[in-house]
Amino acid sequence: MISAEIISAWVFVLLTLCIFSFLYKDNPFYKAAEHLYVGASAGYVAVISFWQQVQPNMFGRLWPSRVDVDDGSIFTSVWYVIYEIFNFISTGFGILDRSIFPEGGIKGFEEIRFIYLIPFILGIFMILRLVPKLGWLARWAIAYIVGMAAGLRFYGYLNSNVLIQIKASAIDFTSDWGTIVNGLIIFIGTISGLIYFFYSTEHKGIVGRLSRIGIYFLMIKFGASFGFAVMGRISLLIGQFNYLKDYSSSAYNYATPVILVFIIICLAIWSIMGDENKNESTA
Amino acid sequence: MEIMKRIFILLGSLDRRIIFLIVGLSVLIPLLKPEWVNLPIRPRPESQIVFNEINKLNEGDKILLSFEYGPSTKPEIHPMSIAILKHLFAKNIQVYGFALWPDGNFMSTEAFSEVSHDYGKKYGIDYVNLGYKPGAEAVVKGIAADIHALYTVDLKGTPINDIPMMKDVVNVENFDFVFSLSAGYPGSTEWVQYACDPKNIPLSTGVTSIQVTDILPYVENGQIRGILAGMPGAAEYESLVEAELREMELSVKPGKASSMMAAQSIAHVMIVLFIIFGNITYYITRKNKGEDKI
Repeated sequence: MISAEIISAWVFVLLTLCIFSFLYKDNPFYKAAEHLYVGASAGYVAVISFWQQVQPNMFGRLWPSRVDVDDGSIFTSVWYVIYEIFNFISTGFGILDRSIFPEGGIKGFEEIRFIYLIPFILGIFMILRLVPKLGWLARWAIAYIVGMAAGLRFYGYLNSNVLIQIKASAIDFTSDWGTIVNGLIIFIGTISGLIYFFYSTEHKGIVGRLSRIGIYFLMIKFGASFGFAVMGRISLLIGQFNYLKDYSSSAYNYATPVILVFIIICLAIWSIMGDENKNESTA
Repeated sequence: MEIMKRIFILLGSLDRRIIFLIVGLSVLIPLLKPEWVNLPIRPRPESQIVFNEINKLNEGDKILLSFEYGPSTKPEIHPMSIAILKHLFAKNIQVYGFALWPDGNFMSTEAFSEVSHDYGKKYGIDYVNLGYKPGAEAVVKGIAADIHALYTVDLKGTPINDIPMMKDVVNVENFDFVFSLSAGYPGSTEWVQYACDPKNIPLSTGVTSIQVTDILPYVENGQIRGILAGMPGAAEYESLVEAELREMELSVKPGKASSMMAAQSIAHVMIVLFIIFGNITYYITRKNKGEDKI
C-alpha cells in the first residue's frame, strides 16, 4: 500500500540523489533538483512572510476587527470601504472566497494604527521596482531599510562585539597562572591581528614583526574554521546517508536502491549520448 | 624509496570521484555496521556548561527556545533540539518556541511533537510554539521589547491572549533562560546583541560546526554560557541528558547524534589521511620539478 509517508520518502530520496549526482558531473538531474529547491524556497518564504507578518501585523493594525474600533463616524465607514475595495481586488474581483481580508476586519488588535500606512506605502514602492518607469521609488524603501538596519545594529554591535570584547581581552593579573597565560595569548593575538589589518603604516620593523605574529594567529583561526567546516559538512552527509539508509528498507518499497539504480542508468545513457553528440559535432 | 614516491604521486593524481567514493564509504560503513566502531563520547567543558546551566533551572521556570535552522542543517542541530526538550520537559520547565528562520516552523513542530507526548506535556500549558516572523534582528528586538505587539497568534493561528502560559509573558525579561538553536544568520549573535546582553538574560546555544569559531568569543567571556558545537556537541549533550534521565528514573530513548558519531570519527580520520597524503604528494611533485629552488 502506498501512503503519503512512502511518497514523501521517494521524493526525498529522488531529490537527495539528484543533488548528489553532481559529484559525478553537472547533469540534468542536478539542475532540475537545484531549480526546484530555489523555486520552492522562494515561494515558501514569500507565502509565510505574507501570512505571518504582512497580513496579521500590517493589515491587522490598519483594519482591526470593526466591532472593536467602530465609533460610528463617517471616517471609520470610509476607511472600511477601502478595506472592502482591497478585498474585492484580492478575491479576483469577487470570484474567489475572502481570505486576506476577512469579513468585518482582522482580529488581533483593538485600535486603528495609521502609522502602519508608512510600511504599507514603502512596501508598494518596493513592488514598483517591477515597473521600469516607477522603479526609482523602490530606492526610498531601500534607503529606509538600510538606515533602519544601520541604526538598529549600531548599538548592538558596539556593545556586544566591541565594548564587551575589549573588556574581556583585558588580563586579570589577580587570577591563576593558567588564566593569565590564556589572557596574554588573547591579548597578543588581538593586538597583532589588528596591526596586520592596519594599512596606514608600512609593515616594517616592529610593526612588521607584530603583523607577522598576527598572520600566525589568523592562520590558526582559519585552520580551526576549516576543520569545523569539514566537520559540519561530514555531519550533513552522515545525516543524509542515515535517511537514505532508513528509506532503503522494504517499509518504504526500497526507495533508495531503486532510485539509485534508475539515476545511474539514466546518467550512463545521458553520458554516452553526450559523447556521441560530441563526436558527431567534431566529425 | 622510489616506489613510495611513485605511490604518492599516483595518489596525488587520483580522480576526485574516487576520493568522493572513499569518503562516502567511510561514512556509510559505520552507519550500516555501528558495532564495528565503538568509540566513547566524553562531554567537553563547553557542553557540560550548557547542561549545568539548564539543569540549574527550577520547575515552572520559563525558557525561550529559538529555532534558527532548517532541513539543510537538521542532522547537526535537530538532535540537540530533541535532547534539550527531553531535559526541559523532564524538569517540568515551560518552553516557549520561536523561529527566526521560516523552516524553523517545521523543525520546531517536529521536535515538539516528537518529545511532548513521551512526557505527557500539553500545548498551551507546558509549551507553546509561536513560530516564525520575518525581520531577523528586528524580531529579536521586538521579542526583547513586547512579544504581544509582534505576535498576535501562535503557529496554529490561536490568538496568543487565549493561550494560558502567554498571560504573564510580556518580553524577554520574563524568561529565565534563552536557548538558541542556530545555523547562521539570524541566530545566536542576534540574540546576544539585541536581547540577552542588553537585558542581561542568560543565554546558551547549539550551533552548526561551521559557526563555532565565530561564536566562541562570546562563550569565552560569558556572553553565551557554553556551546553545543555541531554533531559532536549534540552527542555529548545526549549522553549527559540520558545519564540525568536515568538518575531521575525516567525512560531513556537513545539519541540520534550519538549513533552517528562513529561515522563522523571514521570520516575525519579519512580526511586527515587525505590531507597528509596530499601534502606529501605536493611536496614530492614540487621537488621533482625543482620548484623548491625558486
